[in-house]
Amino acid sequence: MPARSMLLAGADERDLTKLSEYRAIGGYEQVPKARAMTPDDLIAELQAANLRGRGGAGFPMGRKASLIDRKSAKPKYLVVNADESEPGAFKDREVMTRVPHRLLEGCLIAAHAIESNDVFIYIRGEYLTEYEILAKAVEDARKAGLFGDVDITLYRGAGAYICGEETALLDSLEGRRGQPRPRPPFPPIQGLYAAPTQINNVCTIATVPSIIELGADRFREIGTPGSPGTVIFSVSGNVEKPGNYELELGTSMRELIYTHAGGIAGGRQLKAVIPGGSSVPALTPRQIDVPLDYDSMGAIGTFFGAASLIVIDDRCCLVQLALRSTKFYMHESCGKCTPCREGTRWMVQILEKIERGDGELSDLDLLGSVGTRILGRSLCALGDFAVYPVASYLEKFRGEFVAHIEQGRCPYGGESSVEGIFAPSDQHTHSTVATVPA
Amino acid sequence: MSSPELVTVTIDGREVQVPKGTGLVETALAAGIEIPVFCYEPRLGPPVGACRMCLVEVEGMPKLQAGCTMTAQDGLKVLTAQTSALAAEGQNGTLEFILVNHPLDCPVCDKGGECPLQDLTFRWGPGSTRMEFEKRTLEKPIPVSPTIALDRERCILCYRCTRYSESVAEDGQLVAQNRGAQSVIATFDDRPYRAPFSGNVLELCPVGALTSTQYRFEARPWEIQNVPTVCGLCPVGCNTAATLREGKVKRIISRNHPEVDEGWLCDKGRFGFTHLYADDRIADPLRRVRLRGLEEISWDDALDEAERLLREADGRIVTALSGSETIEQAYALGRLLRGGLGSHTAVLPEETGPALDAFRLPLSAIRDAELVVVLGDEPVAERAPIVELWLKAARRNGAEVHYAGDALEGCRRLARVKDELGGRLRESDRAILIWSSEEGAGGAHLAALARELGFAERPGCGAFHLPRTANGRGVADAWAASDDGEGETPEAIGLLVVSGDEAAADPNVRALAERAERVLVTSMFQSLAAGWADLVLPGTSYLERDGTYVNLEGRLQRLRRTSIPPAPDELAWIAKLAERFDVAIDPFPSAVFAELSGKIYDGLPFGEVGEQAPLRTRSEAPAPELPEEPPAPKGEGLRLIRYKALFSGPAIERVPELQFQRPEPEVELSGKDAEKRGIASGDRVRVSHDGTSVELRARVSRSLRPGVVRIAAEHAGDLGGNVEVTT
Amino acid sequence: MNPATDALTKQVRKLATQFPDSRSATIPALRLAQEHNDGWLDTECFEWVGEALDLTPAYCQAVASFYDMFHLAPVGRHSIEVCTNLSCALSGAQQVVEAFESELGVAPGETTADGDVTFRAVECLGGCGYATVVAVDHRYRQFVKPEDVPAIVEGVRAG
Ligand SMILES: Cc1cc2nc3c(=O)[nH]c(=O)nc-3n(C[C@H](O)[C@H](O)[C@H](O)COP(=O)(O)O)c2cc1C
Ligand code: SF4
Ligand code: FES
Repeated sequence: MPARSMLLAGADERDLTKLSEYRAIGGYEQVPKARAMTPDDLIAELQAANLRGRGGAGFPMGRKASLIDRKSAKPKYLVVNADESEPGAFKDREVMTRVPHRLLEGCLIAAHAIESNDVFIYIRGEYLTEYEILAKAVEDARKAGLFGDVDITLYRGAGAYICGEETALLDSLEGRRGQPRPRPPFPPIQGLYAAPTQINNVCTIATVPSIIELGADRFREIGTPGSPGTVIFSVSGNVEKPGNYELELGTSMRELIYTHAGGIAGGRQLKAVIPGGSSVPALTPRQIDVPLDYDSMGAIGTFFGAASLIVIDDRCCLVQLALRSTKFYMHESCGKCTPCREGTRWMVQILEKIERGDGELSDLDLLGSVGTRILGRSLCALGDFAVYPVASYLEKFRGEFVAHIEQGRCPYGGESSVEGIFAPSDQHTHSTVATVPA
Repeated sequence: MSSPELVTVTIDGREVQVPKGTGLVETALAAGIEIPVFCYEPRLGPPVGACRMCLVEVEGMPKLQAGCTMTAQDGLKVLTAQTSALAAEGQNGTLEFILVNHPLDCPVCDKGGECPLQDLTFRWGPGSTRMEFEKRTLEKPIPVSPTIALDRERCILCYRCTRYSESVAEDGQLVAQNRGAQSVIATFDDRPYRAPFSGNVLELCPVGALTSTQYRFEARPWEIQNVPTVCGLCPVGCNTAATLREGKVKRIISRNHPEVDEGWLCDKGRFGFTHLYADDRIADPLRRVRLRGLEEISWDDALDEAERLLREADGRIVTALSGSETIEQAYALGRLLRGGLGSHTAVLPEETGPALDAFRLPLSAIRDAELVVVLGDEPVAERAPIVELWLKAARRNGAEVHYAGDALEGCRRLARVKDELGGRLRESDRAILIWSSEEGAGGAHLAALARELGFAERPGCGAFHLPRTANGRGVADAWAASDDGEGETPEAIGLLVVSGDEAAADPNVRALAERAERVLVTSMFQSLAAGWADLVLPGTSYLERDGTYVNLEGRLQRLRRTSIPPAPDELAWIAKLAERFDVAIDPFPSAVFAELSGKIYDGLPFGEVGEQAPLRTRSEAPAPELPEEPPAPKGEGLRLIRYKALFSGPAIERVPELQFQRPEPEVELSGKDAEKRGIASGDRVRVSHDGTSVELRARVSRSLRPGVVRIAAEHAGDLGGNVEVTT
Repeated sequence: MNPATDALTKQVRKLATQFPDSRSATIPALRLAQEHNDGWLDTECFEWVGEALDLTPAYCQAVASFYDMFHLAPVGRHSIEVCTNLSCALSGAQQVVEAFESELGVAPGETTADGDVTFRAVECLGGCGYATVVAVDHRYRQFVKPEDVPAIVEGVRAG
């Protein structure tokens, strides 16, 4: 399938960070159109479009809007999740730096649907340039009188992956330690400041203007019936042309990797693909003839996730990769619930032992069992995210783990592409208590 | 209110009916099934679902669910670990994770034997460990304050303590720091947790992470007894238990009375007990020798001496009461001094009266109120600490809480028909008035206001006067009931009988003593009696007496002797002494109470006062008057509020661990007054009035209204009236 | 510079009014304090933010210690942060880390002896397609190779 722009439409030809340029291609014209609709009709249209959330879980955006307790006497809030921290993902950044006004236009439309006057965009703290571009766009659009009764506030995070989880994000936005909340109550009923809140990913919201422009029926013709529309795929790792590619949903993974991204770098062999950002089960080369959409990915035991493919070639030791991945989740565990806080750390210890060559076969069972005891039992999905990839390596590349144990060392003999990769959890960070070991 | 909809929930095959929305943990309990928990504690606010101990299987859901975050819905079917292998495996997993880094130092842990972690591990946990790596080790124990020690290795990060600090005590001092596996419980910059309600975290901690420094290595659970009693250090009367080992009190814990204290204690009540073992505790009677010295004498000599003093005074006796005596003690004293000797004059540190009995409500009604008005500028927490927690709970529940400023003025203002707030008080079905001021005629003015606002007809509205003494009301009533006679206050005082430590420490009583020919003091502490008493009889603590108290709600509560005092208690020697004047007094509190109860408590038997006493129903009382006098002329300067600090008084002064909680030498000013004078928090300032002045540190307070300043009495020197504050 | 100036306090109080609940201003206020306190937060910063927002300093410290971008100990005048997460790792981030180590003479997490540069390894910066990503004073450099490192360090030190 050829590339198809919707979110990024016009951005190759013009500098769409400029308000005048964006308006020149019809920007912000969908806002009055949407505002002419009743919120009920607008929500119905969004539901008909079946836009699936681009943040990871793929929950239909219109259905979420329909759950908002619009009768509540409290204000309603729209929160845009621009925390993009999933390893492998860099698509939201593309939208914010190249088509910031499209995101804002989507905000105004979505806000109308849920009868909200207050929009917050929570942008990860590391995105400084992105923040500046977005802030300028907000400023320009506000000055141009495009917001009407709505106000859009940018809120910068301060460095914590967990704040991408929607309820942790809300706590962080409220000025707290960003730790997830139990559900129920669900955000559409009790979210930000205990008021009804709609939370969506940047790309989800930036797709909304296209739905109004095309109408739900025509929008649904793009992509697949279960996953309409286009998606910006972030491709990284060992490919010739890593980067973002906006494609229709349903494009084959092989096409994305080998045609758009130019195939495996240096002509090497593909070893594995982590298709949705580092948190999902990995696929083997035999599994890549699969349409990239929510349902097809689910059918082969992984997740569409954040549409972010990490492509791994044959120089990579997967035990080392598993260790590095788990160290990330341990580092980012918020510390609130037991299985994730204690379990990720234990997994790291076991993986370190295996990687060092000190492992025994029973350690593989233990690793699997610890994973099983985290899976589905933690307060939010971060615990699951730590386990999914490791469990998939264990299942699909078990031989590599066994080789470490039997040879008493890494079979790559120091030649793995991720040999010795340093993790932030290993560096001395200044906790408030100097003596807490990692 | 409509009665809540009942729903049917099935737990492990057992059906129960509970109101819709009941927590699943409580629902299961109603079915006789326990869902084990660590972090779940409804008193701390909404569940957080952190520890994952409560995992259950729910029909229709593929994953295990945290039971503590679920509520009862019709048709809900739940399988707990009792019947579900999956849930049992889940709980086993949670415990395995909890124990991965737990030191398992139970043999040397104070919590051992009364530890939820031990108990749940025994029932649901793994029998052996699969963890072969070195456990995390941390510096321990860390002093969180002089009263609380923290062992971070044992901490399971249930966040009970930090949630308590943030959303019950609202002191925001105990927090979690760092993230993930490095998270620890801490205070700001490791400074002491200095707040009036800090000790409650000791009982909330489900493991041995937060322990009492007083109780450290003092006892094992199987060698202790917990004796139920009530706290006698303030007018709230929190329900407590004293933990004893070998006859000695080792700690005080709460005995949750949901209407009085909800299971919280203030630090004075919790940690103040070591005054029992003060260095200057008196065990034997003492007689004055030469000018200032005291010598120990035998009890026989002491009774002879007391008899002689009483006879020589020839009826010109004045009694200074503390307000901390038991009802029985006060009654017995009255029988002897009034009935036996015709000496009817007594002074109490404050006025009390029955006027508010018509507006009685349990303290918990504050939490359920929609509108609360506090009259008076004294900090509520300093007078009746737990009331402050109820006020915070009310605010969290969405109640409006108003501070009406000067009590008398506010009282008159609210009574006016046109007053806006007064008008809303007249309309509300759940309004509460609280009087936090030294003035007020023992609640009479407040009662007049409540009557004027129509509270008598609205059972959801009530009024509380916060007295200064723990049992002033009971003491006054018992003294009054002890005899029918009346008598003149003697011109010249032949003998001043000083009953108890608070009276002995009271400057007004000392001034009276200057005018008395002789002084007989009952006190626990030698330094309180030395220098002015002719005869000293050993006093006892509220922890050493059997009897009853009346708290500020008007609730009659039972005090128990938790440990044996070093000398016979007051009732015992009063009875003996009374014999010499042919007054028959039973030395047993039950008998004394029976006699008194017939007169003023509708004959309620002693045994029925109850371990968790009910509140007596509202009763009519004569209608008092609103305060009449016109507002005191404003005058120059700022009105000084001198208040008795919570952490003060003879008992607290003798508790080394509580000295860090004593009031700071500071003056509290409103932001406006501070700004006008160019004063910032921390500045050294001079507070002066009429030639006298005191140097103090300034603290700018957000809660104080302009025009008044507050200083703890012990730092206020001779200041009174209106003052000026200068840099 | 000391953050406890009236002008900054005013700025924070104004920030607070932008949110339905002033507590939301905690993170922006901490960031402001850090910017005016040589890049890190000391106890006075927490006291100041607490005072400005009517929160306890303990609360402010608790919040700050949760987030990686708040520093609780002194840092260098400049920061160099190398992403070592999966995509960068697969593309040679470790060699970039090592190049910085030898160029700066410090290990990840440390500050050069002259107080000029704090060097860190960090988690994914959201530039995976442009590996290796290095944030130099919070501005991303992309496709960084070990051979680019000396010039980067030189530029930072000059700046
Ligand atoms: C640990 C964790 C991290 C997450 N990080 C992000 C993120 O960085 N960006 C994002 O949009 N969603 C993230 N999510 C998903 C959000 O919780 C949420 O589902 C999403 O923002 C909803 O938006 P959508 O429906 O438009 O996808 C994360 C979820 C978890 C559990
Ligand atoms: S100290 Fe105790 S109460 Fe506090 S989090 Fe740790 S285990 Fe829970
Ligand atoms: S008791 Fe339910 S998660 Fe702790």
